[in-house]
Amino acid sequence: MNPADKIKLSVHQVGKSFRLRDGSMIDAVSDTSFSVLENEFCVLLGPSGCGKSTVLRMIAGLEEPDSGILSLDGHEIFAADRERGMVFQNYTSFDWLTVKQNVEYGMKLNGVPGRERSERADEFIDLVKLSKFKDAYPKQLSGGMKQRVAIARTLANEPALLLMDEPFGALDAETRWNMQELMISIVETTQTTVVMVTHDIEEALYLGDHIVFFSSHPGTVFEDSRPAFKAGKRFLLKEDAVSLDGYADAERHIMRLMREQGADYLTKDDN
Amino acid sequence: MSEAESKMKRRTRHKRWFEFKKPISTPAVFTLGISVWVIFFGLWELSVPMGWVTELLVPGPSKVASALYELFTEKAFLNDVGISVYRIIVSFIGAALVAVPMGILMGSFRTVEAFLNPFVSAWRYLPAPSFIPILLMWFGTGDAPKLALLFIGVVWFMATIIMDHTKNVRTELIETAQTLGANRWQILKSIVIPAVLPDVMIALRQMLAVSWTYLVIAEIVASTNGIGAMMMRAKRFIHTDEIIAGIIVIGVLGLLFDYLFRVIHRLMFPYLEDHGR
Ligand SMILES: Nc1ncnc2c1ncn2[C@@H]1O[C@H](COP(=O)(O)OP(=O)(O)O)[C@@H](O)[C@H]1O
Ligand SMILES: [Mg+2]
Repeated sequence: MNPADKIKLSVHQVGKSFRLRDGSMIDAVSDTSFSVLENEFCVLLGPSGCGKSTVLRMIAGLEEPDSGILSLDGHEIFAADRERGMVFQNYTSFDWLTVKQNVEYGMKLNGVPGRERSERADEFIDLVKLSKFKDAYPKQLSGGMKQRVAIARTLANEPALLLMDEPFGALDAETRWNMQELMISIVETTQTTVVMVTHDIEEALYLGDHIVFFSSHPGTVFEDSRPAFKAGKRFLLKEDAVSLDGYADAERHIMRLMREQGADYLTKDDN
Repeated sequence: MSEAESKMKRRTRHKRWFEFKKPISTPAVFTLGISVWVIFFGLWELSVPMGWVTELLVPGPSKVASALYELFTEKAFLNDVGISVYRIIVSFIGAALVAVPMGILMGSFRTVEAFLNPFVSAWRYLPAPSFIPILLMWFGTGDAPKLALLFIGVVWFMATIIMDHTKNVRTELIETAQTLGANRWQILKSIVIPAVLPDVMIALRQMLAVSWTYLVIAEIVASTNGIGAMMMRAKRFIHTDEIIAGIIVIGVLGLLFDYLFRVIHRLMFPYLEDHGR
């Protein structure tokens, strides 16, 4: 991090617990702090159940923290807002709208005039390579295409922050890899700041400029790093990132963390 | 190829009448579907000359057909049919106008559900026909008591079913809209309603069948016109052929309405058609 970098998102000593059905409380997230810089692709990584989604939902404003402060551009986050657009793992295309109408949806809500809306929708549909399917309904699209619609719809709405919760988790391996490369080109074109949740180590290492590793029970930041082997660069082709010196070491390191934290979670859950 | 092998092959090639879950040809589907009716009407027609039944109680199909013809040409049966259809349509639109917004709001907001659902559930368990005596006292003998019965017969179930469908609208769709900047009114209008509408139409279609049941009850118990009333008149004069004709007309109308709903559904929701990708 150099002094010129601007902090976009700050998560400061945030905690959140849920009441379970039997009345007991579970600490989903506790004393979690990290910040995301402007134009950074930040990945939240960790074993499942460690609170990644909960943190992301608090950033989105869909969940309220019990303690701590989250702020975007220095303003505290209170509720869901167009500033923080979210893409979910499950498909969220609006089935009753065409691809183009889906992409226009947010802009329409926010009063973008028709002409501009249509042009901007075309531009983002093009960006996610769906121009041929502009007038198709989501039912006619594959899973990967549905996620691209969701991404275009969110970005066309010009959020300050793009949030994604395991967006490629439901896709087959080949599609996932294509989507990851597409993500890099999108982020390079649009200069968007991204916070993405994943538990896929390869995905985290390829996409992340900044990796926040969570440990579980209670979920908190275990390691916060900007992978040195990429030297701050992004790669349009995944193989270029994978073949870098230091990639294997970074992968080995995270795998070990994952195993330790995951195992930790299992043993704690047993008693 | 050994003899055992060729025998095996012949056996698997051989077309059999009964194969678990195997598709059959379209002509076969038609032939079989028509045969069941041919057999049914054949047995029915035969049952009188064969002396299986008394003709007075079970007139044959040809007799019923001529009774049906007479009903329409000489006894102004079309008026009765028109009145029944009118009662169905008016009461059903009334019930839908109340139940659809109520169900959608109950399914969307827990506060509305907590307020209305105990009330709706209680009404649902009161059999609508039990209201007939009091409805007759309140509304007299015109159309009003029938419309009221049809209304209370379907409105509570309709509201409950639509509430359940609305609850099934995926939270992620609503949350997506929230992070795109939608307010509550916009979410209701542009997400919840379009998402639940196909299910609402299916619920309406199912409730329409229930509506026909209550219509017949109302017209048989207390009416001077309508299909049910015609059947009760026919009973007084032991015109069994006319009674059976009435049953057939009700069945045909029910099928017709159901078909109409299906067509509307297809026209309203073209996006639901999967093009096999
Ligand atoms: N709405 C909720 N109610 C109760 N428990 C929850 C809720 N959301 C999350 N949790 C619990 O909080 C913990 C963290 O969940 P989550 O943030 O989904 O983890 P991750 O996304 O890392 O898999 C889990 O133990 C989960 O069961
Ligand atoms: Mg999660």
